Amino acid sequence: MTTTDLLLQQTINGLSLGAMYSLLALGFTLVYGILELINFSHFNIFMVGSFVAMMVLQALGIEGQSVILTGLPLIGTLLAAFLATMLVTGLLGVGIERFLLRRVRYVKGPAAMITTIGVSYILLNVVLLTAGADGKNFPDPLPPIQFAIGDAVLRLREIMIWVIAIVLMGGLTWFVGFTRMGKAMRATAQDPEAARMMGVEVDRVIMMAFFLGSALAGAGGVIFGLYYNYTSAAVGFNAGLRAFTAAVLGGIGNVPGAMIGGLIIGVIEAMGGQFIATEWTDVIIFSILVLVLVFRPAGLLGRVAPNKS
Amino acid sequence: MSVTTHPSASLSAAQKKKLGLFLLTLFILIFPYVHDNDGDIDSMANAAAYATLALGLNIVVGFAGLLDLGYAAFFAIGAYYYGILTSFQVMPLWSPGWAPLAALGLVEKMNQGGPDLVHFTLSFWIALPTAALVAAFFGVLFGAPTLRLRGDYLAIVTLGFGEIVPIVARNVDSVTNGAAGLNGVQAPHLFGSSFGVSATPYYYVGMALVALLIFISIRLRDSRIGRAWMALREDETAASAMGVNLVRLKLLAFAIGAAFAGMTGVFFVAKLQTATPEMFGFPVSTMVLVMVVFGGMGSVWGVVLGAAILQLLQSWFLKDMSGWVNAFGDMIGVQWLAHVDLVQSMELIFGIILVVMMLFRRDGLIPARRKQPLLNFEQQHAEVRRGGFVGLDRIPKWQPGRGNALEVRGVTVKFGGLTALNKVDITVPAGGVVAVIGPNGSGKSTLFNVITGLVHADGGSIKLEGAEILGLAPHKVLEQGVARTFQNIRLFPNLTVLENVLIGQHTRLRTGAIAAVLRLAGTRAEEARALRWAMDIIGLFGNRLTPRANQIVTGLSYANRRRVEIARALASRPKILLLDEPTAGMNPAETLELAEQIKSLHELGLTILLIEHKLDVVTTLASTVVVLDHGDKIAEGKPEDVRRNDEVLTAYLGRAVREAVKAEALAESANVV
Repeated sequence: MTTTDLLLQQTINGLSLGAMYSLLALGFTLVYGILELINFSHFNIFMVGSFVAMMVLQALGIEGQSVILTGLPLIGTLLAAFLATMLVTGLLGVGIERFLLRRVRYVKGPAAMITTIGVSYILLNVVLLTAGADGKNFPDPLPPIQFAIGDAVLRLREIMIWVIAIVLMGGLTWFVGFTRMGKAMRATAQDPEAARMMGVEVDRVIMMAFFLGSALAGAGGVIFGLYYNYTSAAVGFNAGLRAFTAAVLGGIGNVPGAMIGGLIIGVIEAMGGQFIATEWTDVIIFSILVLVLVFRPAGLLGRVAPNKS
Repeated sequence: MSVTTHPSASLSAAQKKKLGLFLLTLFILIFPYVHDNDGDIDSMANAAAYATLALGLNIVVGFAGLLDLGYAAFFAIGAYYYGILTSFQVMPLWSPGWAPLAALGLVEKMNQGGPDLVHFTLSFWIALPTAALVAAFFGVLFGAPTLRLRGDYLAIVTLGFGEIVPIVARNVDSVTNGAAGLNGVQAPHLFGSSFGVSATPYYYVGMALVALLIFISIRLRDSRIGRAWMALREDETAASAMGVNLVRLKLLAFAIGAAFAGMTGVFFVAKLQTATPEMFGFPVSTMVLVMVVFGGMGSVWGVVLGAAILQLLQSWFLKDMSGWVNAFGDMIGVQWLAHVDLVQSMELIFGIILVVMMLFRRDGLIPARRKQPLLNFEQQHAEVRRGGFVGLDRIPKWQPGRGNALEVRGVTVKFGGLTALNKVDITVPAGGVVAVIGPNGSGKSTLFNVITGLVHADGGSIKLEGAEILGLAPHKVLEQGVARTFQNIRLFPNLTVLENVLIGQHTRLRTGAIAAVLRLAGTRAEEARALRWAMDIIGLFGNRLTPRANQIVTGLSYANRRRVEIARALASRPKILLLDEPTAGMNPAETLELAEQIKSLHELGLTILLIEHKLDVVTTLASTVVVLDHGDKIAEGKPEDVRRNDEVLTAYLGRAVREAVKAEALAESANVV
């Protein structure tokens, strides 16, 4: 392959990965924007999402690469997998907020963050103990359609990922920007106390942020499975940390920032793997995280939530 | 008071503590002899290793309040440091330059049938302290760029570093042998004999290390350094305004925490005689965090207990339990029970512990702080003394310099488009009292913030006794002699009155980390002096504060918290004291009491700059009043003159009222005539 083709190919790969990171980063950003809380349970909500999707697809009779669907059955199956997963992870996020995090919401210090680390560990280990630590063959109903652009290849699954990501992110942007609940969310992010006094039901807003964030993480989990045809209990940590980096890069609390940050991180990962070395990708990404936090903590697009400390 | 005759009650608390320590030491010393099971002794040695890690993380998280999620990185650095320098992994070509090191016994010449090579043979006993230094160096290196970040960002950056270190260890195989791990790490030698394969020597070394680190932790905690860590954990802004150098103390906490981990790394690798990247990942950092949280953040004995319980739970209890469950499963023929391994569920238990502790017992098993004794009725209702401060004779007089103590010249502060202060000039003569008044939003508190270095100025100059202090960091401003209180009281909420006041003396004391640990005569004398001074200052407020010296400040009344804040500022022996609405929220009697006390401070020779809304307080105290409005100085003069100033009346009451007031005054004077 020529360098141009390589660049093109890695851009395609990177944008697909990036779409997944963007969805995951949105969850960090929604919750952080309102509560100033780094939600570590988000890492493994994503992982749980990929397992839920796997079970849904298996329940629909798709095992491994044996069944290939086209047309309406394919769209219906994918829709069912995404919706079911997003519902499950969304409710999981709401449950975590309602029954655990709400109790430590206003405690000063790291109590809430430590709680999310604990929840993350519980999710990880429940999956480890029930499903095992080995990698799973993720069901893949997509037909092997692909288009050649020079030597680069654009596969159907990448187009599908982009379409889904655009729909979800567009939906979220519309929701946050143009609905009554979205306005309440933005108000709460600015000043929960004032929002409460203006009649905003802050508890409901926070639950909604957790629902949306966790549902998007679930969608990210489905995309992960479909993209790699693989999942395991361990996938949450790396993907989660990359998505968090993306959220910070874009400006944490900033919705468009999380989307752009995710795409950038995805492309960096793909390019780094191609032109540097895969085993150093993590070091590159963590270095970006550290550098952004140190030199531009507001991120590329800036923080939206004011500093409430 | 009733006298009990029960024998155990005849031991004082200190004696009980000594007895407890003695029994614990005895138990630890004889344990390997009475319980001759190598596996269990090995578990205890591992527990010791985790206890040392927990003690180190406790300094960072518990004392200084910096959440470090990549703590295992320093563990790895200590481990690889020792591992590489005692194994056959890295063997450079021999050259005569190595000879001096060979003479010291750090390396030896070796020939494996090629050219002569260097074999590193660093002694365990040298590695232990030097690893502490190496790890501390990395602690500063990783900490320096990140410490300006807010707490949760710091957590994520440390997590990033915590991931980078094992990845580097995995990828640089030529040095670390990659994922396969280092081989052939030398066992420690003592008096010429190797530790060999028995767990007992490691057990004793581990326990000694725990004892040493407990000792260091306690000495640091109960020192000037420990107090400063607690201060910055409680309120960074107030800590820096009280003279604590935030960056230096955070780095110190990072370095000491890292040093503990580095030493543990040496111990751990010497014991296992291998090192692989997997030993130092995020799960290890989390496990140590679980131990600290479980035992009690900031509690030295708590984190040791937490580490011991969790480690022994893993290696003794769950293993035995698995055996029983498996046997039971075999017996009743349930396959699942026959093969379940409960040790696997350890991380699940960690997660549950984190959540349960955070929800229901955030102070851990042994809270760092016990409940305070309540005041008795007599103390609670002690009569209030009037007429200024008591015990003034014990406080040496302030020696005001000549000329002006503080000169603010043309200071401008802008927040975005808003000009909070516009070329403000204020002069405070040495030994004088100047009051700043003005409606809300007129820039009074901004003025204090810019003087004390909390807010950046957009121009002007601020001189303290002729020396420029504008642009200095808050802790430097305090060191120069400007102490302040805050409008919305910023005490260190979970510390006692005495501790709050002691922190006020931070810049006036010299004890560093090493002196705090050694606690030689000089340090003890300094600490005693500090304590005496603090009690003298607290004593100024008479029976208001003295009986409450050991109470947590959160439980004090509002007026008492204001008093503590003034005492804390006074403890630094400032040249000028800045009081931001000291009587806000006080009732008339309390206001009068405090006004008299401020007056006696003035009579002691202290220079005071005061923000105050209550005009009678201003009139009694201040010789000069400065009026601010929308960032401009609109008037300055004697209190009675300023009261009649047109602009002041307009600023406070509006134009219409001003006219009415003037008309009334005119009518009155007409009547008199």
